[in-house]
Amino acid sequence: MVYVKAQKGKAYFKRYQVKFKRRREGKTDYRARIRLINQDKNKYNTPKYRFVVRFTNKDIVAQITSASIAGDIVLAAAYSHELPRYGLEVGLTNYAAAYCTGLLLARRVLKMLEMDEEYQGNVEASGEDFSVEPADTRRPFRALLDVGLIRTTTGNRVFGALKGALDGGLDIPHSEKRFAGFDKEKKELDPEVHRKYIFGGHVAAYMKTLEEDEPEKYQSHFSEYIKRGLSADGIEPLYKKVHAAIRADPTIKKSEKQPPKEHKRYNLKKLTYEERKAKLIARLQALNSAAGGEDEDDDDDE
Amino acid sequence: MPAGHGLRSRTRDSFSRPFRKKGTIALTTYLRTYHIGDYVDIKVNGAVHKGMPHKFYHGRTGRVWNITKRAIGVEVNKQVGNRIIRKRIHVRVEHVMPSRCMEEFRLRKINNDKLKTEAKANGQQISTKRQPEGPKPGFMVEAATLETVTPIPYDVVNDLKGGY
Repeated sequence: MVYVKAQKGKAYFKRYQVKFKRRREGKTDYRARIRLINQDKNKYNTPKYRFVVRFTNKDIVAQITSASIAGDIVLAAAYSHELPRYGLEVGLTNYAAAYCTGLLLARRVLKMLEMDEEYQGNVEASGEDFSVEPADTRRPFRALLDVGLIRTTTGNRVFGALKGALDGGLDIPHSEKRFAGFDKEKKELDPEVHRKYIFGGHVAAYMKTLEEDEPEKYQSHFSEYIKRGLSADGIEPLYKKVHAAIRADPTIKKSEKQPPKEHKRYNLKKLTYEERKAKLIARLQALNSAAGGEDEDDDDDE
Repeated sequence: MPAGHGLRSRTRDSFSRPFRKKGTIALTTYLRTYHIGDYVDIKVNGAVHKGMPHKFYHGRTGRVWNITKRAIGVEVNKQVGNRIIRKRIHVRVEHVMPSRCMEEFRLRKINNDKLKTEAKANGQQISTKRQPEGPKPGFMVEAATLETVTPIPYDVVNDLKGGY
C-alpha cells in the first residue's frame, strides 16, 4: 500500500463547522425558509401560513403550516394516499393527483375554519388563472407556497397542487408563468392545455398511443389501470367525480391503528442512571464482603 | 498613516461571528416577538449589514419604544460629557435579543406574591425582603491540639555571629 498522507487530521475536525442538521440531511433550504417565515414585527404573533407541497416516490404531502420557536405547527394536512377514499386509486403522484391533493387540503382548511360556504373557489376546473375574490364578511385564507428544494420548471406537479388549492378557495400569491400549458414564446397560459393536465389528459393520451403501438408495454405500464377497468376515455370523468367527492366531504377520517407488536430484543437495553449507580454499589459490596468484610459496610463511595 | 475613526473602526473582533458559528442565522432570531417596554440586549450580528447599530451600543441594554416591520426602536442610556442622555436608536431584529435582566425580579415577584397569599391564609406575618448574607456560623475544629507559642527573649551576643 502506498503511504498516503492523511488528508483530514485533528486540526481539520477541530475547526470544522457543521451545517444545520436539516441542511446536512439536504431537506431544508434555509435561505428560502427565512424569507417565508419572517413576519413583520409590528404584526406580533399573527401567524404566517405556508402551503407546503412535497413529493415522495409514491405519495404527495400538502400541509398548511405556521412556524414557532418550539417547532412548526401543522394546521391541516392532505396526502395523496387519502385519495382512494374519494375514488382515485391509481396514479397517485401525477399532475392530476397533485391537483386533487391541493383541492382536498384547501377544502379541509376552509371547512376547519368554517369559511367553506363563503369561499367556494372555482368549482368547474377550467385551467385558466383563478384568484379568490374577497367576500364581505371575512378575508380569504392566505398562505404562501413553499416548494422546498424542487426545481420550479413550467408544468411541475407542485403547481398542479397550487392550482388545486387556488381552485379550492385559498388565497396564494402566484403567477401563471409556471402552470402546465404556459407558452414561453407567446408569454401566455393556454387554459385548454392546463385543463388537459388537471384531468389527466396527458396520461390518457399516452395510454392511447401505447395501446395502439405497443400493446405489451401498455399492459405492463398501465397494469393497475387495466386491473381497475380504467381506459383512456374514462380518466377525465373519473377525476370529475373525485373533485365532486372531495368538495362534498373533505373532513379527515381517523384511521384505526393497533398498538405496535412487541418484538424480541436482540441487544442489551441501556441502563438508567439509578440502575448504573445501584449496580456499582452492589459490585463494591460484593468486593468488600469477598476481601474480608471486617472493614466498613457502607460503600456509598460516590 | 493615521488611525481612522470610521463608523466601524476597532470592531474587527466584536463584530466578527464567533468561532464555528458562521453562516446561516438560526430562525429563532426572526421568530421572536417584542413588545414596547421590553428590555433587550443589543448584540451586533456581523453577518447582517443592514440596521446595524453603532459600535457604542454593542453590549448595551435598553427598552423597546418602537416596533416596525423588520426593526425595533431601543432607548439606551449614553453618557455624553457630564450627563446621561436617553438615546433612541432603531436596530434590526438580528442584532437584538431579549434581556434576562428583569427575569430574576419577575420570578421573585411571583414567588413573593405566592408566599404572601399563603401567609395571609394562615394569618402569619412574613417579610419577603431579601437579606444580605451574614457572617458564617461558628463551628468546632475537630482533632485540634492547643500549642501555646511564646517568643524567646532576644539574645544579642549569640545572634551577632562575628562582627560587632
